[in-house]
Amino acid sequence: MPHRALIATVALAAALTLPFAAAQAFDESKYPDWSGAWRRIAVPGVTGQPGYDQTKRLGRAQQAPLTPEATAIMEASMADQAKGGQGNYPTYTCLSPGMPRIMTPYGMMEMLITPDTIHVLLEHVHDSRRIYTDGRDWPTNVTPTLQGYSIGKWLDTDGDGRYDTLEVETRNMRGPRAFDASGMPLHKDNKTIVKERIRLDPTNPNVMLNELTTIDSSLTRPWTVTKRYGRDPKEELVWTEENCAEGNGHVEIRGQGYFLSAEGDLMPSRKGQEPPDLRFFEAAR
Amino acid sequence: MLGRNSIASIAYVVTLLTTISSAQAFDGSVYPDLKGQWTRATPETSFDPSKPPGRGQQAPLTPEYQAIFEANLREREAGVPPTWPGRTCLPPGMPATMTAYEPMEIIVLPRATFIRIDYIRETRRRIFTDGRTWPREVETGFDGYSIGKWIDTDGDGKFDVLEAETRNFSGPRAFDLSGIPLHEDNQTVIKERLYLDKSDKNLLHNEMTVIDNALTRPWTVTKSYRRSAQAQPEWPEYLCVERSETMRIGNEIYLVNKDGYLMPAKKGQKAPSLQYFPTAQR
Repeated sequence: MPHRALIATVALAAALTLPFAAAQAFDESKYPDWSGAWRRIAVPGVTGQPGYDQTKRLGRAQQAPLTPEATAIMEASMADQAKGGQGNYPTYTCLSPGMPRIMTPYGMMEMLITPDTIHVLLEHVHDSRRIYTDGRDWPTNVTPTLQGYSIGKWLDTDGDGRYDTLEVETRNMRGPRAFDASGMPLHKDNKTIVKERIRLDPTNPNVMLNELTTIDSSLTRPWTVTKRYGRDPKEELVWTEENCAEGNGHVEIRGQGYFLSAEGDLMPSRKGQEPPDLRFFEAAR
Repeated sequence: MLGRNSIASIAYVVTLLTTISSAQAFDGSVYPDLKGQWTRATPETSFDPSKPPGRGQQAPLTPEYQAIFEANLREREAGVPPTWPGRTCLPPGMPATMTAYEPMEIIVLPRATFIRIDYIRETRRRIFTDGRTWPREVETGFDGYSIGKWIDTDGDGKFDVLEAETRNFSGPRAFDLSGIPLHEDNQTVIKERLYLDKSDKNLLHNEMTVIDNALTRPWTVTKSYRRSAQAQPEWPEYLCVERSETMRIGNEIYLVNKDGYLMPAKKGQKAPSLQYFPTAQR
């Protein structure tokens, strides 16, 4: 049985040590283990390009609560895409999809947890984020970005002394953005607010759940979907480097999208498309 | 005053706590404080910031690559966009990445040090410090594959230098905007020593040595970065496609004017072929 003096000494030592540790060390054991590479989990039977709600196919099957105006934009986008055009799909020129679409995600995702910031590194067009967890308020003067400005808060929902859930709110976005490749639009007023609850699946620590709620003027009500990401089981991960501009088969000239042939020649992206105006070239006059 | 037993007990408890903490906590106190936003300390974007740009860099190029560089300079003097991956929205790649054309953030974690710079591509260098050896399977990239080691050079029990070596590159890459080329074989090896200035903790130095077949000898320069005084700095978003004034079609680079029209980048440049447009054939 420990001597009373020893107990007091342990208490003193612990009391002395804890503030020091809190000031200078980052106790990773308080946070969930989100290390590794995460990819979206494909849902059996849901084929084609990933829809925003990954449990449903792209387009109308998403049953998004769109306003009539936004529905018309999506329908026009899909009609244009059916003819070979790009529709309301800004990403083809190597613009980032922006929030909330970047959290689909399209490539490998890594989450770096530090005491004041979660770095979400996404290997895609230009999608990485910072989620500030240092208790800051919303900034009053910040330039809007496609990813927006994210503030998060860690929660210990089961009271076991360890954080398990990250709640995030994202504002200050700009456009153009769409929910997915169908061109389902977010409103051009860019007043979007995205709320996330990110946590590991209680039944499988190699599955991460992200419950995303989007509030946007293109929607008749907040739209909540749950995205599921799987942890890559490889011990030695191979991180790929995606460069959208490398081998991109699309160019846009004065708002018109064109394909590039295998030889690099301009090609129409839709039937009957006029060539670009090359008025500044001698031979083209 | 504490008795001998108590002192022994404290030592035991501290040992226990140290062991627990090394297993479960990341002891940031043994690493230098590299938090915050870093911008290059000098406005110049030349590879060697201590020398004038272009020929003034006195890059130790082989005759073959000196000739390529001279051709690049002549084109640039003629108004052609510089021979630089960024003109087609490709990232600069290493070692030019570390010129820090845009603000840089350094995230030190036990397994790796991450470097984020949002310039053309969102660069996120991973410098692995987990003791790994060079992998057998790795994809090449503009930023390469980096392995690093923290060093306590003055023996004070705290790391002060990050030594990194980077290999496994893809290209094309250039040292800087003047078009000083790296060899197309992409066999570059880059060694770095990153450390805070001893007299100014808001000044970071990076001693870089580049070994490349375009060079007659290793080329060493020192880059420096200044820490922002802002507690909550803004991180700008750099989307090349929105800023680019050039466009690649096939093997040709064209200018894009403010109204979005394609323009020749050099005198006598032919217009892009419109052979796939039936209406242009009429």
